[in-house]
Amino acid sequence: MKGLEYLYLDHAATTPMREIAFEAFKHAEEVAFANSSGGHELSRRAKNLLEESRDFIGGIFGAAPKEITFTSGGTEADNWIIKSPFLNNASISSRLVTTQIEHEAVLSSAEWIQEQGFEVKFIGVDEDGVVDVNQFVESCNKETLVASLMYANNETGVIQPISEILKKVKDVSPEILFHSDVVQAVASEKLDFHKLGIDSAAISGHKIGGPKGIGVMFLSSKYKLPNYFHGGKQELERRAGTVNVSGVAGLAAALKEQQETLSEEKILLESERKIFEDTLKEKLQIKIIGENINRLSHISNIQFKNINSETLMVALDLKGLGVSRGSACASGAQKPSHVLKAMNVHSDDINSHLRFSFGWSTKDGDGLKAANIVLSTIEGIS
Amino acid sequence: MRVLVAMSGGVDSSVVAGLLKSQGHDVIGVTMKLWEGPNGEMPETGCCTAADSEDARKVAAKLDIPYYVLDYTSSFSENVIDNFIDMYSKGLTPNPCVECNRSVKFDHFIDQAKKLNCEKVATGHYAKIIDNNGSKELHKADYEEKDQSYVLHMLTSEKLELIEFPLGTISKPEVRQIAASLDLKTAFKKDSQDICFVGNNDYRNFVSSRMNFSSTGAIVDKNENELGSHNGIHEFTVGQRKGIPGGQGEPKYVTKIDVENNKVYIGTKKDLTTKKFLIEDVSFVDEVITNKISIQTRYNSSDIPCKINKIDDNVYEVELVQATLGVAPGQFGVIYQNTKLVGGGRISTKILEDVNE
Repeated sequence: MKGLEYLYLDHAATTPMREIAFEAFKHAEEVAFANSSGGHELSRRAKNLLEESRDFIGGIFGAAPKEITFTSGGTEADNWIIKSPFLNNASISSRLVTTQIEHEAVLSSAEWIQEQGFEVKFIGVDEDGVVDVNQFVESCNKETLVASLMYANNETGVIQPISEILKKVKDVSPEILFHSDVVQAVASEKLDFHKLGIDSAAISGHKIGGPKGIGVMFLSSKYKLPNYFHGGKQELERRAGTVNVSGVAGLAAALKEQQETLSEEKILLESERKIFEDTLKEKLQIKIIGENINRLSHISNIQFKNINSETLMVALDLKGLGVSRGSACASGAQKPSHVLKAMNVHSDDINSHLRFSFGWSTKDGDGLKAANIVLSTIEGIS
Repeated sequence: MRVLVAMSGGVDSSVVAGLLKSQGHDVIGVTMKLWEGPNGEMPETGCCTAADSEDARKVAAKLDIPYYVLDYTSSFSENVIDNFIDMYSKGLTPNPCVECNRSVKFDHFIDQAKKLNCEKVATGHYAKIIDNNGSKELHKADYEEKDQSYVLHMLTSEKLELIEFPLGTISKPEVRQIAASLDLKTAFKKDSQDICFVGNNDYRNFVSSRMNFSSTGAIVDKNENELGSHNGIHEFTVGQRKGIPGGQGEPKYVTKIDVENNKVYIGTKKDLTTKKFLIEDVSFVDEVITNKISIQTRYNSSDIPCKINKIDDNVYEVELVQATLGVAPGQFGVIYQNTKLVGGGRISTKILEDVNE
């Protein structure tokens, strides 16, 4: 129905799979389809491919192979790291500290922890969407098991002062497991987990041109977490279930290409975004979230004064431009974003935001093309 | 022509989308999310459930049309739910479908359609729009059994310019046949009967959960003799027989609800008959027509010949040729000239009292 003309600016939701990832996935299914836990030649091939990929992926993030566990995605990694420390006879005074702007995978896990009776602190943000450093640090105490702070927000792209907070949190108690959901950040930032100092991280394959259904839980070798899935002894006995080797191979291939091209890609993303934002600014009354602060190169969250973003999103879709509002719910209707709420965006404006996210499939000229579609669409609906 | 079709996930609106698509129109399907659970989820019972929107999505996919679920919850809550509660608290019998049509479906929805460059909106209502020398008239559906023009009486001829009711000339069995021939999964889906936001039709629980009606009061006859007590006036509507003190002799009905004094009046069938009453907030589709007219005082009730006289701005006195039962304040009096809908308004309370005495 839409044909090839469709302009996709929703890479923060997911990306198309890179050709090289698709090939690696297909190749793995052809030559290494066997169960990587088996004892025969074909299983060994699968196991070898799995471990090569683990080495490679660990290397990209400065992590040891044994610190890399493959999961079904970012959500599983977040759930595992946030919840499992509390499942193991944790004292009821144990605490979790996180923010109000986390991805739902962290936020809902934290709420679940809270429902179990543990203490959970949801730290607020300023009007740019940057977390309150002092409040975060002051909320951490000796009873805190996990502190979770996303590297950059998935709706606004705003990068959080993670190094500063991490250092201060470790001063409170070096025992605190410092987790970071880096799912969105990996798309346009080069990260080294040990240099950064985080103890655990969640990564998702499909945000960087890899397959869906594969993710990584990074966990520093200093920590051990109770298992979340029970069953077979896969993944160094940490995660039960036949390993998605072809997914892992696809993810490794996608990451390889992404890391090799990241610096060029970043230049393209930033220039397309700049053209996009500048073109809109010339003609419209808009506000760009985090415009003058540190934000990811691929996300542009824009407030369109007096325009309902639900209607705008539909009108853009009908003109062949795919973007998004807050987070989608199952039925498709979307609610005002919890991130914008935390930023204290006025209730008159909270339904006037759209997120435009560029990505690896973005081409030279897409920024201007998108801006022109937005301009002509807004003319029609206001 | 680009048309925005309101798709509830039922067979009627599915067929509307299918018919318009097969006529070559550029059809966009929308499910209006009117009502939600505490975490923003679609309701599980009543109509407009998540399963219904899933049906609508499947029909849209089958027809290869764009489809969206759009959020109308605040509009619905402000205009329909609040009004529903307010009416009950005043001892009136609300008709939420009328309110929903007035302020949500044929107001906000039309606005949204305009913004999406749609020339018209279409719904699966059974009613007919006829063009009479460039002016639009609203008529009863050919298939009178399903006629829904009553709940559409507030539409003016200007509004009707922007609306299509493709089912006005089709019978329900034909609708199902068309759905089946288009291979739509809703072809044999059961019709919904509930008030859409009150699952299982338990509006008493719904109302009492949203408002404090705990105050008990007296049930009296027309001579103020106390016959019993009640747990809140919201449990009663005029004409109701259930839940009131019985006894020997003639069956008793609620005849009047006195909100101020928290009293429910009961009487015999005879006390329920009305010949004259007022309608307020009256609107006319086009011009005011007073000859050869009749009125429906409830959805799908029979037409009673009547006369109307203007009392004040938008207030008319209705005089029935023959007295009738169960004219309930809060419901609408909808005036027809044969099949043509003339206009209508809300049946007023105070007036009934005067007329009865």
